[in-house]
Amino acid sequence: MRIVRHASALALGALALTLLLTPAPAAAQGAIGTPREMVAAYNALADAILATKRTEADLVRSILAATYAHGQVQLTRAQRAITAGDAAAATAATEALAADVAQLATEGDNNVAVVRKRLIEGGHHHNSAGEAQGVYDEGFVVVTKAAKAKLLDASRAIGQMGRAPKADALAAQWAIVEGVYKDLMKPAK
Amino acid sequence: MRAAATLIVCAVAAILAEGSPGAEAPGLHRDGVAAQAPQERRAPVDEPAWVTPPRGSPPRADASAVVASVASSTVGRSGGRTRAGETTPQEPRPPSAAPPRFRFVNVAPEAGLTRPLLAGRPGKDHLLDSAGSGAAWLDYDRDGRLDLYLVNGWRLDGSAIAEKGRYTLYRGLPDGTFRDVTDETGVGGAGHWASGGFVADYDGDGWQDILVTTFGPVLLYRNLGNGRFEDVSERSGIGAPGWNTGAAFFDADRDGDLDLYIAAYIDTTMKEVLEARPTLSWRGLEQVAFGPFGMKGAPDRFYRNDGKGRFVDATTEAGMQDQALGFGFAVRAFDYDDDGDLDVYVANDSDPNYLYRNDGTGRFKEVGTWSGCALDGNGAAQAGMGVTVGDATGDGLTDIVVTNFSQDFSTLYRALDGGAFEDASAETGVGPTTFTPLSWGTALADLDNDGDLDLVVANGHIYPQINKHPQVIGTYEQRNLLLENAGPGAKTLFRDATAAAGPGFEEVKSSRGVAVGDYDNDGDLDLLVTHTDEPPSLLRNDSAGGAWLTLVLEGRHGLHPIGASVTVRAGGRTQRRDVAAGDSYMSTHDPRPHFGIGDANVVDEVNVRWPDGTHTVLKNVPSRQFLRVKQGP
Repeated sequence: MRIVRHASALALGALALTLLLTPAPAAAQGAIGTPREMVAAYNALADAILATKRTEADLVRSILAATYAHGQVQLTRAQRAITAGDAAAATAATEALAADVAQLATEGDNNVAVVRKRLIEGGHHHNSAGEAQGVYDEGFVVVTKAAKAKLLDASRAIGQMGRAPKADALAAQWAIVEGVYKDLMKPAK
Repeated sequence: MRAAATLIVCAVAAILAEGSPGAEAPGLHRDGVAAQAPQERRAPVDEPAWVTPPRGSPPRADASAVVASVASSTVGRSGGRTRAGETTPQEPRPPSAAPPRFRFVNVAPEAGLTRPLLAGRPGKDHLLDSAGSGAAWLDYDRDGRLDLYLVNGWRLDGSAIAEKGRYTLYRGLPDGTFRDVTDETGVGGAGHWASGGFVADYDGDGWQDILVTTFGPVLLYRNLGNGRFEDVSERSGIGAPGWNTGAAFFDADRDGDLDLYIAAYIDTTMKEVLEARPTLSWRGLEQVAFGPFGMKGAPDRFYRNDGKGRFVDATTEAGMQDQALGFGFAVRAFDYDDDGDLDVYVANDSDPNYLYRNDGTGRFKEVGTWSGCALDGNGAAQAGMGVTVGDATGDGLTDIVVTNFSQDFSTLYRALDGGAFEDASAETGVGPTTFTPLSWGTALADLDNDGDLDLVVANGHIYPQINKHPQVIGTYEQRNLLLENAGPGAKTLFRDATAAAGPGFEEVKSSRGVAVGDYDNDGDLDLLVTHTDEPPSLLRNDSAGGAWLTLVLEGRHGLHPIGASVTVRAGGRTQRRDVAAGDSYMSTHDPRPHFGIGDANVVDEVNVRWPDGTHTVLKNVPSRQFLRVKQGP
């Protein structure tokens, strides 16, 4: 219903604009092109739409960066706790690290998933072509399916170590995460 | 902590006969045939059903009471005698040489289970029309026989309500039939379109109570112990309006009373349901019901039992906010990490599944994604409908099976050490076998009593319109599946045994719920399967199975303590079962832990872990009996 209302409002607006910009009958010179003002307005709108899409990508990259940074902190905490022989702290940090890596895989936590669901509900697919090709999951912006699978594997492996984490094993898993993350965060061409 | 307590272990005739009132005898999805089976009749049973041994089985435990008082809780010894010379009624068998391993026969009509389960409009214009309903086994009158509770939906005619289905409580009778006792017990509902039925003794008075999830209020019926129930919904504090689906009673905070998790599906109104029309294009061929993509999920809720008969919404405090607003369908509480507290798994439709890990105090953290059981092996969210848990692989860890949409496989999440899971659907055979149908209710249960868990999957599509194009993905009505567990070491763990599972598995209906229970107390597990727009099927198990042991647990707060688990060692295998309220698809199974033990005549050890963490250990327990184990004081 909301979509219908928005569409109606847009149609009315377009009609009003057309009436305002339509030349007087006396000036009729056969078929006319789309009025320049309309094209200009549309161009401005396109700039905004494309900028919004870029902003969406930047925002998701920010989410990933924040999650990655949190993961680095958790990795450090886990390694320090392992060195100090503090099993409880090591377990807590390792599980937090696993959760961070899972959130990298899913482009954010469950709260972000709700936003993604809303966008899909509204018909917005950031990577519609990529989704059609099977590169991206529905609604995903940065993380490809292939990257997601690697990150999920790593998160599970890290989580599995939770009860008795070992520093070198954690580092090995984090190296995988780091590689995937850096690939994803390369500037778009 | 281990209990040092006096035990009373009974292999008894009138197992649960005490207090029996009026007892008649002791005792939006991704996408992905056969004729009605002839009905067979079983010879009438004159004595309490569970006393009659299964056909072709060796003598079973004595029906007369044998009571053994055991002073030690750690090394007990159960009583039990075999009944010498007891005759076994034989049913004529087909002339073929070897009987099939499985044989299930639908006996619902002659058993009296005849009330249709209503499901909206014929065209299933809204998802509520096609969701169907669950079923619950219980023993409301404690006569030792299972009774059956079936909730019901509505029948719609366009936007008009044509009929509001009545819920039905069927009382199990000694002859294996059921009598409709809805009116006299007072559990027929108040006209709400119901989803599922869940059974637990929430107030600890020793009598099983009933919870009904609906499109509307959650109903709670308190068993008064006199053959009647009292509707305590309003004063229970369980608000949860909306489209509620799966639920699970469990003691989250280990304070001795049962808390409650209730899943919810989509945020919609009855007005939208009634006005719904098929608007979604299905492959450009038909218009079908819209959703769930494009709809808003409704939040699941968690309620803490205050110990005084009231439930308090503690969703946020417990850390169980449904942040993703997943389309929740099925709930199962179990101790996935074996740390002594109950965790909660939620199967979400089209969204990642949840695994809430309990920290031991009733506070939870959602760990599904990094534990490996939220998504499939490809990292994709599936359309979770039903869930069941059990040690499918025989490695001592509890695996999870989630049923999903058509053209997508049901997923076996194999448990790994360290509380992790991996998608083992393909290699175990579960994936390939379940790929085509749209699956709902499910159960891991030892249906041939050979010591491993077989898998039942109920199937049926949600779009009746696909019947015009059966060549695409089949029909709205689908055949249910029985996957036989080939045991550890087999190249493929599960093989499709449906074709040789008897006439009960030849039925082609649009099935939804599955509830497993030994309704005739003959030592093998029968299946209650609900369908849309028709009465359920009661698939009596006539399989030629092995020996068995079924436990009737009596905790400090009454029978069938939710959260208790039992581990048995027999025939070189170790198996574990737990007591749960809420499983499959919006359903509740028989609460008595059942073990198939193959050729073993004696169970080497039975170890009961009670909800409070104490144990009862019994040694050298004879098989083929209902063994009552009572927790020490």
